[in-house]
Amino acid sequence: MNAIDSSALDGSFLARGHSLRAWLTTLDHKRIAILYAAGITFFFFLGGAAATLIRLNLVTPDGALMSAESYNKTFTFHGVIMVWFFLIPSIPTTLGNFLLPLMIGARDVAFPRLNLTSWYLYIGGGLFTIAALLAGGVDTGWTFYTPFSTMFSNSNVFLVVAGVFITGFSSILTGVNFIVTTHALRTAGMTWFRLPLFVWAIYATSLVMVLATPVLAMTLALIALERGLGVGIFDPALGGDPLLFQHLFWFYSHPAVYIMILPAMGVVSEIIACFVRRRVFGYRFMTYSMLAIAVIGFLVWGHHMFVAGMSTYASLVFSMLSFVVAVPSAIKVFNWTTTLRKGQISFEAPMLYALGFVGLFLLGGLTGLILAAPALDVPLTDTYFVVAHFHYVMVGGSVMAYLGGIHYWWPKITGRLYSEAWARFAAILMFFGFNLTFFPQYILGYEGMPRRYHSYLPQFQALNVLSSAGASILALGYILPVVYLLWSLWRGDLAGNNPWHARGLEWQTSSPPPSENFLRPPQVREAYAYDQPEP
Amino acid sequence: MSACSAIEQQYDDAVQQREAATLGMWVFLATEILFFGVLFASYTICRVLHPTGFAIASRHTDMLLGTIETAVLLISSSLIALAVRAIKLDQRRVASLLMTGTAALGVAFLVMHGFEYLREYREHLIPGLDFMQSGPYAPSVELFFCLYYFITGFHSLHVLIGVSVILVLAARVARGSFGAQRYTTLELTALYWHLVDIVWIFVYPLIYLIGRSG
Amino acid sequence: MSAARAAAQIVPVRRLLWVLAALLGLLALSAGSALLKLGVWNPIINFAVSVTKTLLVMAVFMHETEARQLTRLVSALGFIWLAMLIGLSLADFLTRSPLPAPW
Repeated sequence: MNAIDSSALDGSFLARGHSLRAWLTTLDHKRIAILYAAGITFFFFLGGAAATLIRLNLVTPDGALMSAESYNKTFTFHGVIMVWFFLIPSIPTTLGNFLLPLMIGARDVAFPRLNLTSWYLYIGGGLFTIAALLAGGVDTGWTFYTPFSTMFSNSNVFLVVAGVFITGFSSILTGVNFIVTTHALRTAGMTWFRLPLFVWAIYATSLVMVLATPVLAMTLALIALERGLGVGIFDPALGGDPLLFQHLFWFYSHPAVYIMILPAMGVVSEIIACFVRRRVFGYRFMTYSMLAIAVIGFLVWGHHMFVAGMSTYASLVFSMLSFVVAVPSAIKVFNWTTTLRKGQISFEAPMLYALGFVGLFLLGGLTGLILAAPALDVPLTDTYFVVAHFHYVMVGGSVMAYLGGIHYWWPKITGRLYSEAWARFAAILMFFGFNLTFFPQYILGYEGMPRRYHSYLPQFQALNVLSSAGASILALGYILPVVYLLWSLWRGDLAGNNPWHARGLEWQTSSPPPSENFLRPPQVREAYAYDQPEP
Repeated sequence: MSACSAIEQQYDDAVQQREAATLGMWVFLATEILFFGVLFASYTICRVLHPTGFAIASRHTDMLLGTIETAVLLISSSLIALAVRAIKLDQRRVASLLMTGTAALGVAFLVMHGFEYLREYREHLIPGLDFMQSGPYAPSVELFFCLYYFITGFHSLHVLIGVSVILVLAARVARGSFGAQRYTTLELTALYWHLVDIVWIFVYPLIYLIGRSG
Repeated sequence: MSAARAAAQIVPVRRLLWVLAALLGLLALSAGSALLKLGVWNPIINFAVSVTKTLLVMAVFMHETEARQLTRLVSALGFIWLAMLIGLSLADFLTRSPLPAPW
C-alpha cells in the first residue's frame, strides 16, 4: 500500500487545484498553513546557516573566520531571522492555521482573505530582510538598541526594520483572525472548557500577538524616523533617553518569547495526552496558566534592562514580577509530569520530542529564574549564560515542540506515515546534539565569556569546541526530518483517519481532510476522552 | 434581518458573520490603541522629564486651529454616527450625504493641519531640518516637536485613510450597494473613524494646552 | 432578528445631538481652563475631559457594536495594556536618582 498511491488524496484539500495560481490565491486555511510551512522551513535553514557560521567562527579564540563587523552582522541576521521569521510564526501559522478550525469543528477561519494577506505580508517582510542581507547586512543585534541603530551604525538598518515592520502586521492580523475564529466559529457543543489545550494555547498566543506587536511596529517606525531625520526622541542631545527605546522594545519583545513558547506548550499537551492515553492532568489549571502567562508576561520586560541604567526600584519590581510569571509555567510542568503517572506511555517520535521539551524547558526556565534576580544578573548578563538560557527555552523548547507537532500531525496533514525508526533516531540525535551545543554555554557564561564577541580568551576554547561539535550534530538532527518526511510523501504508508488513535475533532475526518474539513459533523465530547472509545 | 453581504462558507448564518466581523474590528481597534499608545507613552515620559520645555514648546502651537480641528472631528464623528443610523432606516440618500459630510470635515481637518505645519515651517520649528530655538530649553522644545510631528503625522495618515474609505463607501451607498439589509461594512468603518477621533481627543490637550496660562 | 429588536437598536437623533453638544461643551471647558492658572489641576482637568469625551463617543456613537460584553472587554484591554506600558515605564523614570559627576 505504500507505492505511489494517491487515492488517499482524492477528495482532500490537496486535490483541489494543482496550479501555482491555485495555491497562491487559496483561501483554504490548510493550504495557507502549508504555504507558511514552506516559508518557515526556508527561514529556519537560513537562520541556521548564520548559526553555522557563528559556531565555526567560535572554534578558535582569535575569531579568524571573519572580521568583528562581519560577525556582528552574522549574529544579527541569525537573531532577526530566527525570532521574527521562524520562532514567532512557526507553530501558530503552520499547525495553528491547519488545526484551529479542525479542532473546533469549523470549516475555515473567520477571515480567510485576511489569512492569505497575512502570508503575503510575512513573505514580503522576509524579502525586505533578505534584501538587507544582500545589501550588506545589519550589525546592530536583533535588539536594535539606540543610539547605535539610530545614529552610528553604517549598515542597512532601514531595510531590516521595514521587513520586520511588515511581518509584524502579518502577526497582528493572524492574531485577530484566531481570536475571532475561536470566539465565533466553535461548532455546536464545543464549549470553551471542552477545547483542546492546543486551541487555548493558540488563543493565549493570539492575545499576546495582538497586544504586543503594535508596540513593536511603532517602535521600529520611530527608529526609522530617527535614523532618517537625524533626530528623534531617543536622542540624549535633545533630552531623550535611549532607555525609552529599550522600554518600548522589550514591552513587545518579552511577550514575544511567550508567543514562541505558548503554542509549544499546547502542542506538548496534545502529544502527551495521546501517548500516555490519558486526559491531561489539571485541565483547568492548564488553561488558566496559559492565560496567566500571557497576561503576566507583559509585566516583566524590565528584566532585560537591569544593567542598562534603570532605577533600582523598577529593577526590584520587574524582578519580583519575573519570579511570579514562572509560577504558571511551573504548574504546567508539574501537570505534564503528573499526566505521565500511571499512564500507558509509548515512545513514538512525537512523544520523544514532547518529553525532551519538558526536560529542556525546565532547565531553561530555571536558569531564567537565576537571571531574574538582579544580583545574579549583573555578572551573568551579556554572557553566554543568557545565550544558553534562551536557546534552551527557544530551541530545546519551542523548536522541539514544533518538530514534535509536525511529526504528530504529519499523517493528518499529508495522509502519509513517516518512518518511525528514522524519526526516533533524529529526535534522539537532536536531543544529544542540542545539549552538547548549549550546556557548555552555561558554563562559559558562568566563567565570564561575553556574548556577541567574535573572539574570546583562550581558556574558553575547549568548551567552545564542544559547543560547535554539538552544533554539527544538531544540524544533522535537523536535516534528517527534511529527508525522511519528504520521502514519506512519496513512499510513506497511508495514514488513515486516526493512526495514533487520538481524541480530538481533527482525527474524526480523513487524512488529509477535505476542503470543507468535515463531511459529517464531528462528535463533540470532553477533551482527551481517552477513557472512552474512539468515536 | 441580515446586515451584511452574502454569507461566507465558514459561517452558519448572517448573524454569526456579522458578530465575527464586529469582534474582529474591535480587536483591530485595540491594536490601534497600542500602536498610538507608544507615542503617548513616549510623550508622557518625555514630558515628565522636561515639563518646562514642553510648556514652552506647547505655546508655539496654534491653539485656536487645534481647538477648531478638535471640534471638526467631534462633529464628523456625530455625522457618521447619524449616517449609520440613517442606513439602518434605509435612508440611503441621507446616509450618503452624511458620509460625504464626514469626509469633508476630515479633509477640512487635514487642510487646517496643513496650515499649522506651514506656520511651523515659517517659524523654523522643524527638528533636524530647520530648527531655530535658543535658550536652555531649546533641546526639549525640539524633543516636543519631534513628538508633535510623529503623533500628528501618524494621526493624519489615519485620517486620510478614513476619508478615502468613507468617500468610496458614500458613493457605493448612493449607488445602492448598502441598505437596511446590508450595512456592516459601514458600521465597522464608522468604528474606525470614531477611533481616529478618540486618538485626537487625547492628542489635543497634550499638544495644544500645556503652559497656556503663563 | 425581529423588526422590533432591530428598531430598538436605532439611536434617536436627539441623543446623538445632545452628546455632540456635550462633547463640544467639554472641549470648551478644557480649552477655557487651560487659559487659567490652575497648577497641577490643568493637566488633571484636561485628562479627565479627554476620558469623559472618549467614554461618550464609545458609549453612544459606538454603542450598537460595543453593546456585547466581549467587545467592551476588548476595548478595555487596549487601554489597560497601554496603562501598563506607561505605568511600569514611569516606575523607572520617576524613581531614578541622578548620579552627579564626581568633578
